Amino acid sequence: MLGRTWILFAMFAGGLAAVGWAVYGSRLPPADFTFINETEVASVDPALITGQPEGRIVHAIFEGLVRPRADNNRAEPGVAEKWEISDDGRTYIFHLRPDARWSNGDPVTAHDFLYSIRRLIDPQTASRYAYQAWYIVNAKRYSLGGSALTPGDPVEVELNPLDGLPNTVRGKLLLGKLVRIDSRTSSQEKSESSRDRVYVVERDGKERHFQIAEESDNVAQGVERCRQVLLDFREVGVRAIDNRTLEIRLDEPTPYFLDLLAFYPFSPVHRGCLEKHGKPAWTRPENIVTNGAFRLVARRIRDRVRLQRSENYWDRANVRLNVVDALSVDNRSTALNLYMTGMVDWVTVPPAEVLRELLKSEPPRNDLNPAPQLTTYYYLLNTTRPPLDDKRVRLALGLALDREEITRVATGAGEKPALSLVPPSMPNYEQQKCQPFNPEAARKLLAEAGYPDGRGFPKIEILYNTDQQHQAIAELVRKQWQRELGITASLRNEEWGSFQDSQQQLKFLVARRAWVGDYLDPNTYLDMFVTDGENNCTGFGNAAYDTLIADAAKEPDVEKRMKILESAERLLMDEMPIIPVYFYVSRNMVRPKVRGFYNNLQDTHPLNAIWIDPNVDDKAPRPNEYMEPVQ
Amino acid sequence: MIWFIVRRLIGLVLTLWVVFTVSFLLMRAVPGGPYSGERNLPPEIEENVKHRYRLDRPIYEQYGFELGNILSGDFGQSMRLYDFDVNQVIAQGLPISAALGIFALSFAVTLGLSAGIVSALYRGSLADWALMSLATIGIALPSFVIAGLSIMLFVFLIPVFPAAGWGTFRQLVLPAVCLGSLYAAEIARIARTGMLDAMSQDYVRTARAKGLSKLAVALRHALPGAMMPVVSFLGPAVAGILTGSVVIERIFAIPGLGWHFVQAALQRDYTLAMGLVLLYTLLLYTMNFLVDLSYGILDPRVELK
Repeated sequence: MLGRTWILFAMFAGGLAAVGWAVYGSRLPPADFTFINETEVASVDPALITGQPEGRIVHAIFEGLVRPRADNNRAEPGVAEKWEISDDGRTYIFHLRPDARWSNGDPVTAHDFLYSIRRLIDPQTASRYAYQAWYIVNAKRYSLGGSALTPGDPVEVELNPLDGLPNTVRGKLLLGKLVRIDSRTSSQEKSESSRDRVYVVERDGKERHFQIAEESDNVAQGVERCRQVLLDFREVGVRAIDNRTLEIRLDEPTPYFLDLLAFYPFSPVHRGCLEKHGKPAWTRPENIVTNGAFRLVARRIRDRVRLQRSENYWDRANVRLNVVDALSVDNRSTALNLYMTGMVDWVTVPPAEVLRELLKSEPPRNDLNPAPQLTTYYYLLNTTRPPLDDKRVRLALGLALDREEITRVATGAGEKPALSLVPPSMPNYEQQKCQPFNPEAARKLLAEAGYPDGRGFPKIEILYNTDQQHQAIAELVRKQWQRELGITASLRNEEWGSFQDSQQQLKFLVARRAWVGDYLDPNTYLDMFVTDGENNCTGFGNAAYDTLIADAAKEPDVEKRMKILESAERLLMDEMPIIPVYFYVSRNMVRPKVRGFYNNLQDTHPLNAIWIDPNVDDKAPRPNEYMEPVQ
Repeated sequence: MIWFIVRRLIGLVLTLWVVFTVSFLLMRAVPGGPYSGERNLPPEIEENVKHRYRLDRPIYEQYGFELGNILSGDFGQSMRLYDFDVNQVIAQGLPISAALGIFALSFAVTLGLSAGIVSALYRGSLADWALMSLATIGIALPSFVIAGLSIMLFVFLIPVFPAAGWGTFRQLVLPAVCLGSLYAAEIARIARTGMLDAMSQDYVRTARAKGLSKLAVALRHALPGAMMPVVSFLGPAVAGILTGSVVIERIFAIPGLGWHFVQAALQRDYTLAMGLVLLYTLLLYTMNFLVDLSYGILDPRVELK
């Protein structure tokens, strides 16, 4: 009996010891500034990420040629201390500052940027933001790999990397000239894959045949295996003139290119670090080499990312936070609880239902100041399917939408009703609005389309990704359409993954979508809707529209260019493949003691500018920069 | 006994294989994939992504490849947490979920057993009635309600515990109690029934007839027998609690494994989802095996074959 009791006691003691180890073994000293970074970051690799939470970390640990200013997010000098832009707006020469250093002490050179931009557009990297670099001469062709090649092109054949090397080391490169591409597949087979082509490349006067295949795959006699065949990278418009001078050439004068360069995909990465540790090991805190204001010191999955001020950063004198914690808390109520109990200093998105109450509190809160944001919420209409292939029906659906009611009832943080796709406050741009709520005109149009009072109108379905707020909006839209047009709509929700697929494959009639502007220019919204655009998702295609977008890209004159973009949006609103619903507002809650935090359109708040005023407590009436009124 | 263990081991391998196969097929049957995202990739680049994950290969090749990897103990890289291997995700999350689980279970067993025994010994009394009503409420209330109420009470009204997070003992208390209360309630009911059953057995009456006190009889003679249904319940419960609770971990921002289960499925993180499913299967199977072994210890009449 005693024996068994001992086992129980031993188990109990062991259990307690394990609990103690798991709890205390993972303790970190408190940080100076703690914020809720929403979800667990997918990666800290600048080329692989697309989300805002990832961006907050990457912007803190890496710095591009230019960096976003804290107040308005426009580009300001980063690693480049100055630059020249040619008169035609197509060539940029960046002069890198001599004191820019990596966290291991190496200088940041033009070659680092060359390496990083090549990596960003390498099809093997499969960066979702590779297209941001497509403004650079030939970058698009390079990033699309073999499918963008035509005979006569100078090419680089990347052989399969040698076994045993880290997976970040490229295979051996053979430069040559593409003679022709033979297709191995017979034409009956469904889709041609890049793996079924044989690239005939002339090199040193000899023709060699290459096929994308692994060393273990079978290939025909006389064909060599390779990893990929790309345009010769020397054709791409990026060049390191010397260690401290980088030249970037663009296809078209792109007025927002500098702002775009401040965006995280263009952050440099350290080649030595990548090639020593391989992927993904190079991103670990003990391996990673960074060049930003902060270093990555610890990462605990779904708990926090810990950053520490970098001693090698050129502008370290102006970085005032020492230790920063980014918490991965994706439950909004939990995030708010942490804020309310003083454990965090910045919450990005409080729960919608609480936010509505907080906004009404009297006296007004000193830590909440919603401001317009560069994000539009809209409904996609599938223009390939009846009845939505009829423009009159699409317009009627838009006219019957009472957006005021939606922002009043369903959203509630002061969102602004949207009558255009492009959000307000784009510099030099006048939004092209669609007709506001007008049930009379909507009924008339629907009658013209053959459905008087909604009679004979097929039942339509509104698709949204599973979320309380999207559901509330969809229900309201259904009610409004029923009320104003007499048509019935049903709702369907899908979880995120399936929802993405349905949008891509146009497996819906009406679906919700939102777009966060990648840069401060209407183009980020408007170029989505070119024929077969990857993010078009409506089946909409219009030759005149495509021409306008292409013309705008070529136009060097700012005002003329904006006029062209305005006519593009006018056309889009007249054709109405999408119905704009509302513009987002930022919903940050920031403690009064936090300084250097500004409301801005892209809702990007660089950590290097933030500091804590120790003399201010939560009750301070004195507003910080964040509480300054917004126009 | 040896044969029993060997048979169970073979059963374990078969179970893991079946679970692997079914999960593998289910994952590929649902729409979407690890490459779908809000910013869409041009077709040629999507092909590269698929190639990297071998999703461009015929399904039987994918199956063989993944099975081979798993047999060598490598679950591969997470398809959505790009910086981590599945093994790392599990190595970071499992100790935390397990620590929380052990703490919650100790609380649940202590509370549940005491309540069950008291209820059984004083059947029909006010104490029995009160305890069992509490237990019924405990079972009926979903854990997010209990968590919400306890946060309102002990974080905002009487600020004794932190709202969320991980790293101190105080942060452990609320989630453990919320997580444990459901199990405590179940255990109390099961223990009561088991105890009542055991108390009516002949050997208990014999012990009483020999003149032993009521308490001694209850604890020495009746309790081991009464533990059998509790242990059967605890086996699968331990497996579930060690791999983390989705709701509790989310509400209290605890970096355990629980939320990964949901996220991996939603985001089509094939490798992580597979790792977690197999881990859960392994734990569940092991716990059931331990339960069977413990029958032999608790009840001398049980023979393991």
